[in-house]
Amino acid sequence: MSGVSRRHFLRLTAGTGAAVVLSSATPAALAEGGPRDTRVYVLVVDGCRPDEIGPVLTPHLHRLRESGTNFPAARSLPVMETIPNHVMMMSGLRPDRSGVPANSVYDPGEGAVRTLDRPSDLRAATLLDRLRAAGHVTGSVLSKEYLYGIFGERASVRWEPFPIVPVSGHAPDLATTDALIAMVHRADPALVFVNLGDVDRAGHTDLTGTTLRAARTAALWSTDLQVGRFVADLKRTGRWASSVLLVLADHAMDWSLPHRVVSLAGRLAADPALTGRVVVAQNGGADLLTFTGPEAERAAAVARMRSIAAGTEGVLSVHAPAELRLGPEAGDLVAYCRAGWRFTDPDVWSNPIPGNHGHPATEPIPFFVAGGHPAVRAGATSSAPARTVDVAPTVGALFGLPEPAGGYDGTARLDALVGV
Amino acid sequence: MFRAGGVAAVAAGAGAFGGVAVADTGPFAHGVASGDPLPGGVVLWTRVTPVADAVPGSGAGPEVRVRWEMALDEGFRNVVARGAVPTGPARDHTVKVDVTGLAPGTWYWYRFHLGGAASPAGRTRTAPAGDAPVDRLRFGVVSCSNLQAGHFSAYRHLARREDLDGVLHLGDYLYEYAPGEYQARDVVVRPHDPPIEMTTLAHYRRRHAQYKADPDLRALHARVPFVVTWDDHESANDAWSGGAQNHTEGAEGRWLDRRAAAQRAYAEWMPVRYEPGGRLYRRFTFGALAELSMLDLRTYRSRQAAHPLDPAIHDPDRTITGDAQLRWLRDGLVTSGAQWKLVGNPVMIAPVRFPSTLSTEELRALSRLTGPLTGVPYNVDQWDGYTADRRELFAALRDHGVRDTVFLTGDIHSGWAADLPYDPLTYPLNRNSVGTELVCTSVTSDNLDDILRVPPRTVSLGVEAAVRVANPHVRYLDFDSHGFSVLEVAPSRVQMDWFALADRTDPGSAARHTASFTVRAGTQRAVRTWEPLR
Repeated sequence: MSGVSRRHFLRLTAGTGAAVVLSSATPAALAEGGPRDTRVYVLVVDGCRPDEIGPVLTPHLHRLRESGTNFPAARSLPVMETIPNHVMMMSGLRPDRSGVPANSVYDPGEGAVRTLDRPSDLRAATLLDRLRAAGHVTGSVLSKEYLYGIFGERASVRWEPFPIVPVSGHAPDLATTDALIAMVHRADPALVFVNLGDVDRAGHTDLTGTTLRAARTAALWSTDLQVGRFVADLKRTGRWASSVLLVLADHAMDWSLPHRVVSLAGRLAADPALTGRVVVAQNGGADLLTFTGPEAERAAAVARMRSIAAGTEGVLSVHAPAELRLGPEAGDLVAYCRAGWRFTDPDVWSNPIPGNHGHPATEPIPFFVAGGHPAVRAGATSSAPARTVDVAPTVGALFGLPEPAGGYDGTARLDALVGV
Repeated sequence: MFRAGGVAAVAAGAGAFGGVAVADTGPFAHGVASGDPLPGGVVLWTRVTPVADAVPGSGAGPEVRVRWEMALDEGFRNVVARGAVPTGPARDHTVKVDVTGLAPGTWYWYRFHLGGAASPAGRTRTAPAGDAPVDRLRFGVVSCSNLQAGHFSAYRHLARREDLDGVLHLGDYLYEYAPGEYQARDVVVRPHDPPIEMTTLAHYRRRHAQYKADPDLRALHARVPFVVTWDDHESANDAWSGGAQNHTEGAEGRWLDRRAAAQRAYAEWMPVRYEPGGRLYRRFTFGALAELSMLDLRTYRSRQAAHPLDPAIHDPDRTITGDAQLRWLRDGLVTSGAQWKLVGNPVMIAPVRFPSTLSTEELRALSRLTGPLTGVPYNVDQWDGYTADRRELFAALRDHGVRDTVFLTGDIHSGWAADLPYDPLTYPLNRNSVGTELVCTSVTSDNLDDILRVPPRTVSLGVEAAVRVANPHVRYLDFDSHGFSVLEVAPSRVQMDWFALADRTDPGSAARHTASFTVRAGTQRAVRTWEPLR
């Protein structure tokens, strides 16, 4: 990442013996904390489907869900990808206000498709910086390099994901949990934003995903153990009674067979009016289409693009970005695929992985509030339509943080809380 | 569904061709009812008999004005709404008022006045406000109430409960047959009036009047609001858009005239927000907890396939819903803001393949329950006979990640709980369920043991086991019991309890709990529970 400012580093040894390096802008953030007040841990089990949590495979997550307040109607928001939904969680704003609509967009300034992984890509304030400005210590423990990239130095205390698994670009949940526990022990932030990447990464690459989901199942089991380890540590160190855990996923996962692929780039290029003038930013189950020709021709070209995309087998629907509350960064059109399909663009070999998300089939997510804090409503279920964008207003309410300028797009899910 | 029996013995004296006597009940012999609750309104219903000869279907009697009032208390000290409406022979002296401006989630009492006479008081309840959190809803769920086949004890048991917000009647509220055409095995427990098959407006009106005079049905109507839809017997067996199995074009008039008469009588006699020529399919919202889409699967459907091997069952040009209703249902489910998407569904949507291991006699009996069978896997009067519509609907649920859709179904005179596989062939491997279906049994109409003429829970047990083996998504099946169901909807789960009558031919029959299944939120699976609702 660019623009690294003066940073203070602290090397710790985790309970597993691994080294954990935290960084912060000020030494004070790494000082031992005072008497313990409300602590909130937003744990994102990346890519987890709500129906994958159960008493046998994921007993710790299951117990947490049963013990607190569950939101079974919870859903991810467009585009159902990791970066935009993490940004929505922390900002409480939809992408048309944050500037982050997808993982991958066409950047007209650079004339290329790129990942939104730069601190400057996120135009809105987040809880990490707003709570920090209000005098709280905040922390980020994000297993994926691009998340660490976009959230940059917003948190008072950060963990830079390490070691990184080649290809997947993420740190294993074991290391992430080591870092989380070390950060809580040492800096004890009021809010820690955590991404556990194993379940998502195993889901993407699981060639048995349409049937057996062998790797995925193993990852769920192992990630659940890590969550259990963190909860046990909070209890062991006397922190449980002041802790609120908000556990959710950023999106779900859907598996497709190799013949269920949609490649729009070639079909669009075959239209003489569009040849060489459409760029596709592929986001698994969603394609962002941008017309790069003359402005005067845009309206007609977009109509042709829409017609071609909508007429392609495997395409579920085509939307103007504004319909989905996506800003101009999303390009001219968003195409979704059907369940059991995936996009592979620009080429038919570009996306070989069976597990994908980004399309509406991957909207349902787990979303529950647990913990020993007296504000947590125990043993409850709410019909409320919780969304990823609701995390910031819910956590903000716990800290009495005022709404940002222009208000939140999300809703504080106070069903889960008592006396807030 | 239709199963004509053999020659029937008419048990009691058939009513004279003059309708139900009203002398002892004053002008309100057919009771009061309410239905179609919205957050701010509800439909109130009654029928008046202003003079003795204004009997149902007669076209006789004067124009009158009927006053109504609605209160927050049973003693009518706190009246919040009142009015007066005209009625007369043109609408068979029925009265229907769509009261608006009410408070959401509130119990009300209502009654009617004609001259100095007051109706019995009814009780009703508005739906919760659109975005309100709702912890619990409870509905009685019933279907297939054939007066000739028994007494409506199921309604009485529901009326005695204190925990219901309403009743869902999923169709076959009344039957078209003449005495002797369709009853309880061989016994006509209570003969139909008029004592012929209903084909004209006067017939339909009189039949409705006969049913509304039943004390158990009157008690339940007066207790809670109904949400109803029709299936086929409200007009004629196996109705479709252009005819019906039990309609002979010409000899019984034109089908469109007969159906228009049936629909007009239905609009007059049922507490439903429906008028002839309008749309019966409609949607209700119960806060953030649930939405209920009530379907009409008779008015727009293509003719049933000739037999279960007919490739027409997969023809995308054939429809059970009609294009507009399917679009309305699909779009409503996909964009719903409610957690539970309930669908009031007159005929079963779960795919059911009948096993090849059954005996000829068992297959013949099943076919009498479900329609032509001849050893192959479909009941072509259900969604199984219109697979393109089902495919489109299930694909929409899957493509849009729609959770917690529960079809509530009647028609088939048996209790079922089933998951709804997107692909039945791979279902045992990957449990690709897009929703669930809970089917209530008949209030009285014949089912498998009746057709086989064997004691309940004997031969049927083997048939049920065989059906479940051939259909692993079917979690529960009871081919024998008559009775009712109670449905609870809560944020954490939906549960249906099934209750069976001891003897449908006994007017005082007891009922007992037989089974319970839950669908936990987010699972799309029906699972047995041993704890009935409390």
